[in-house]
Amino acid sequence: MSVARKWPASRLLIWLVLILGGLVSLFPFFWMVIGTTLNPNDVVRGIIVPGKEFDLNWAKAIRNYNLLLFFVNSLKIALLTVVFGVIVNSIAAFGFEKFKSKARDKVFGVLLLTLIIPQIAIVIPMFRLFVFFRLLDTHAAIILPSVMSVFIIFFMRQNFKMFPTEIMEAARVDGTSEFSIFLRIVSPSMKATFASAAIYMFLAQWNSYLWPLMTILTDAKKTLPIAMSSMMRAYTIEYGALMIVVCISILPVLVLFLTLQKQFVAGLLGSVK
Amino acid sequence: MNRRGSYYRYLNRLGWLCVAPAMILYCLFMLYPILSSLYYVTRKWRGMSNTFVGLGNFARMANDNIFQLSLGHNFIFMFVQIPLMIFLALILAVILNQGIKRMRGAFRVVFFLPCVTSLVAYSVLFRILLQSNGLLNNLLLNAHLIANPIGWLNNTFWAKVTIILALTWRWTGYNMVFFLVGLQSIDTEIYEAAEVDGASKMRQFFRITLPLLLPVILFSAVTSTNGTMQLFDEPNILTWEGGPANATMTAALYIYRQAFVLNSDYGYATALSYVVVLISGAFAFAQMRLLGGRDK
Repeated sequence: MSVARKWPASRLLIWLVLILGGLVSLFPFFWMVIGTTLNPNDVVRGIIVPGKEFDLNWAKAIRNYNLLLFFVNSLKIALLTVVFGVIVNSIAAFGFEKFKSKARDKVFGVLLLTLIIPQIAIVIPMFRLFVFFRLLDTHAAIILPSVMSVFIIFFMRQNFKMFPTEIMEAARVDGTSEFSIFLRIVSPSMKATFASAAIYMFLAQWNSYLWPLMTILTDAKKTLPIAMSSMMRAYTIEYGALMIVVCISILPVLVLFLTLQKQFVAGLLGSVK
Repeated sequence: MNRRGSYYRYLNRLGWLCVAPAMILYCLFMLYPILSSLYYVTRKWRGMSNTFVGLGNFARMANDNIFQLSLGHNFIFMFVQIPLMIFLALILAVILNQGIKRMRGAFRVVFFLPCVTSLVAYSVLFRILLQSNGLLNNLLLNAHLIANPIGWLNNTFWAKVTIILALTWRWTGYNMVFFLVGLQSIDTEIYEAAEVDGASKMRQFFRITLPLLLPVILFSAVTSTNGTMQLFDEPNILTWEGGPANATMTAALYIYRQAFVLNSDYGYATALSYVVVLISGAFAFAQMRLLGGRDK
């Protein structure tokens, strides 16, 4: 720090880098909001002063682009994935960690081994599987494959490790059922872990594109990312309305980030300590 | 003793019960696709029917110029974008950690913000910003930095630059947070000792910070490599279906198009995906070895 005071030039450089980086980082957000008030031509030309067409764009986003329907679809799918996912994965992580056996440790090893398989490699057989199930073009097709997550099981297991087994033993001696031990003793003390896992799963599902693109065919069932990509495909694009859709698709994640920063970052970075 | 044994059996059964729901889903949506891909990879689809071709799908790759081109693009993005991003993230992390006293938290939030956007949302946004008569070109023209508009989306060279810039915008802050966590775990006494010994800031960075941060840097290189091998959303939306003229076509996008857009050849697409798995696996293995070697 003292060096910076002696060398104003280096200090100047530091602030220049920060401010320039900050501008680049923030500008698309700033302009995204401006864009919602512009007419389509001004959006494409990249006008940076607010226009007066927000009401018109909003009406188009609702009427022509069915914004609310896509938002509700996305929210429903993401929330159901989180609810089922947190239950299934936390209980599995609990089972792997707190009822140890050699056989289950081997099973866990297999799970970890398949963690490196990229999504693109399994979507084709999985697509055929959903054709077989006759579940194509349903929201279940998006939710079902993303409920179980090896990464979340791994992440939660790491955190269950830190919960002292002695407390569980004591509760058992007192006659508490295993179910209540999990629900009333272990879970309440791991709120941050559950929050991180929930945020991670929400983000992954809210943003998912490839798999929904393959499985959803009907317009009314589309999620926001799929809807946005088909809006871009259309012959005429209502750019102002599209900017509103883009803003709305970012809003829930932004709110989540600004309110739960700590858990959000932990959820994104995973098990990094 | 017998009671004790039955109690352990009870706990063991309970353990299986806990992992059962997850295991059923795992078998259906992970294990089954992996195993059945062994069948798909030997088949060729013609319309609704398919025939056995053995290793024919792999032989076909030898003449598939577009696939080879696509893999090449993955490598270009990997070898240009990842070092660039890690370099920038490292600078920002070091500045936030040691360079300033005020507004650290605020800048951390600002740099992290791009990764709250969904890949599709920011691809759409950037596609609009980068039109040839769009905002970025207008800014550059007005500042007299360029004489003619740049074809960010329709020039085969600049379209690649666009993908690299977009990826860098989206992911630099994310990696910076990794590095910040790593930097904060370095004991400040080491720097104080170096200061006493008269080591310059530059020397401190190269001799202390960089070596201690190397495991974190390698970790983010591994995850970024994995992500780049699966690049799909950006070339599909931002530069539109891998365009112009396949200039930004990536392996994952090409596989998707083989199976679902062009000719529904699930067999050939599966064979192509095997190549991606193999390459990502090889990279992950090499980088892990490097990581493991450093720990010793």
